Amino acid sequence: MRSLRRYLVTVLIALFTLISFVAALQSYKQRAIRAEALFDQDLQVLASSLSQQYQAGSQQELGLALQVWQKGELVYRSALAPETSMSEAEGFSEHNFAGKRWRVFRQTPTDLLTVIVAQPLKQRQQLADEVITASIYPVVLSLPLQALLIWLVVSKALSPIKRFSAQLSSKKANDLSPVELDQVPAELDQMLKTTNQLFARLADAFEREKRFASDVAHELRTPLSVLQVNLHNASQQWQHSGISDPEGSMLALQAGVERMSALIEQIMLLNRTNPEHFQARTEQLDLAGLCRQVVADWYPHIDKKQQQIELLGLEHLSLKGDAFALRLLVSNLVGNASKYSAVGGSIQLELSTNQQQAMLVVQDNGPGIAPEEYSRVFDRFYRVGGDRHQSGTIGSGLGLAIVRDIVVLHQGRISLGASDFSSGLKVTVELPL
Amino acid sequence: MLINTVLMFLRELLPLCLLLATLLVWHRSVWRSFALYFAFPSLLMLSLISLQMVWISEQLDGLGLELLYSFLYLSCFVLLCLSALKAQWALLSSAFAAACLFSISGSNLLLYIWLPGQAENTPADLVLGSALGVGIGASIAVLWYYLLTELKQWRIQSFALLLSLSGARQVMMTSALLIQSDWLVAGPQLWQTEQLLSEQSELGFFLQALMGYEATPSLSQVLLYVLCFTVLFWCCSLMEKKR
Repeated sequence: MRSLRRYLVTVLIALFTLISFVAALQSYKQRAIRAEALFDQDLQVLASSLSQQYQAGSQQELGLALQVWQKGELVYRSALAPETSMSEAEGFSEHNFAGKRWRVFRQTPTDLLTVIVAQPLKQRQQLADEVITASIYPVVLSLPLQALLIWLVVSKALSPIKRFSAQLSSKKANDLSPVELDQVPAELDQMLKTTNQLFARLADAFEREKRFASDVAHELRTPLSVLQVNLHNASQQWQHSGISDPEGSMLALQAGVERMSALIEQIMLLNRTNPEHFQARTEQLDLAGLCRQVVADWYPHIDKKQQQIELLGLEHLSLKGDAFALRLLVSNLVGNASKYSAVGGSIQLELSTNQQQAMLVVQDNGPGIAPEEYSRVFDRFYRVGGDRHQSGTIGSGLGLAIVRDIVVLHQGRISLGASDFSSGLKVTVELPL
Repeated sequence: MLINTVLMFLRELLPLCLLLATLLVWHRSVWRSFALYFAFPSLLMLSLISLQMVWISEQLDGLGLELLYSFLYLSCFVLLCLSALKAQWALLSSAFAAACLFSISGSNLLLYIWLPGQAENTPADLVLGSALGVGIGASIAVLWYYLLTELKQWRIQSFALLLSLSGARQVMMTSALLIQSDWLVAGPQLWQTEQLLSEQSELGFFLQALMGYEATPSLSQVLLYVLCFTVLFWCCSLMEKKR
């Protein structure tokens, strides 16, 4: 296990040291070469000045201007030096002559002898520039190399974090398997362990929740069935024995048991269709055919309430989905429409396609739902108006929650709106084709 | 001069740093033991050679020091072969191999620092030059270590190759010293690559430290190099097969 901090610190220090030291050495070498050239040039100038003294009339161009004064008379001057004194001040000074700015040095070793030497300022600056540029050049050139290497080292050091993040972002909602990483740095190790422990705890909790709800519903199913049979028998016996039930206690008891039975069925279905647990078995299916089957299933109930139901739009609509879940979705929507519509009401199913989406619209002319309730009706166990729903219809408050889960499972969308009838609810489901 | 000090330190330290980095990748899990096994014989040999340098150099008609260095370079190669062949001796013998190289480099550097002719080097030159040399050598070693670690993670079997090159380099140094002492016949010069890659260039310098690059090798040097490289590579391959 490698520490990110140690790796970054050692490698970056090594890189900086190496590049800076190599740049310093290169700079040293370059300056040494320039200085050598400078000293050679000084030697050349000195040799030329001395040779000029012995070659009368020589006007060889020199870098330096030189004057020698003796007893106030100019006894020697180089080609570039003027006939008048280049400087009256002792030591270093700057003056203009011969169309240039000069750095002048005047020395009077004895009262009778004065030596004045001058060098063009431009030439001095040029030489200084050359030496400085030579020393800066390697440092400036090394900067892009340093930047590139730092980028490579930091990218390399942070790659485990990047891989960790990529694994987390590519995880599906129901994938609670541990994250596996090679070469985990010390700093990431604890985070990885904690994340994996969290995933394990979440998986356990989901499993417990799933089992609990499913087990409770399953365990309640049998005694409820027995209760229903006994209630039916008791009701028959009461009828045969001529016992009257003026307060309707038996009917209320039967309705309560029926509601509890429906609730348990819905809880079990909710568990089966929960996206966190449900492993969809997607297959190519015909949504129109599925709708026809659901309408046929519900037809006795619809007919009993003298309701009208019609299926409009496409006769075949092929899409990929889980047959069981989609059938449950359509069944819950049709069931709700029928349950909450009055006797003689109308229900309409319409199938269409919109670009990459299949659209199923189920609407009725029931009382509908107020728009402020739209977002809440998908909550589990939520019923508009509470348990005392004005329709008096038996319900669990889970139907639309199941529908929403199935839509999420198929990566679709669901929306509610006002029906095209004079009143009622319109449910629009969009599913990817 | 500053540059001479830097070059001297680099010439002596770079091969040692590269060998140490390579061996540390090998013995990463037991690096503390490796450091201990390396430190004790290194300091002992360095002290002995440094204290007895005058006496050693006077032996064998004034060739004592060259021949001792040849022996140490050769020992380094033999110990590397041994470490590859015998797993139980790997840690000890590879640490001793590095110690042999350290004693040569260390004594040469001590000689350079304390040589009477050092008057032309100012103390500032010496301090700055040695700091630059040590800094560059250590930095290359750190980067080399992480490069080899990276290659190892990518399952690239570079270790056998690099260790064999390093081992053969020590034999190359032995042969150069023996030829210089007239103990080995050089034979004809095989090629001349000075124009293509100078030994004085940065890359030439690095390759010299890594694998004993020679711009003008003689026949005997090349034969010895190829032979020793093959032997050590075979030993390393055997070791990797055993793993």
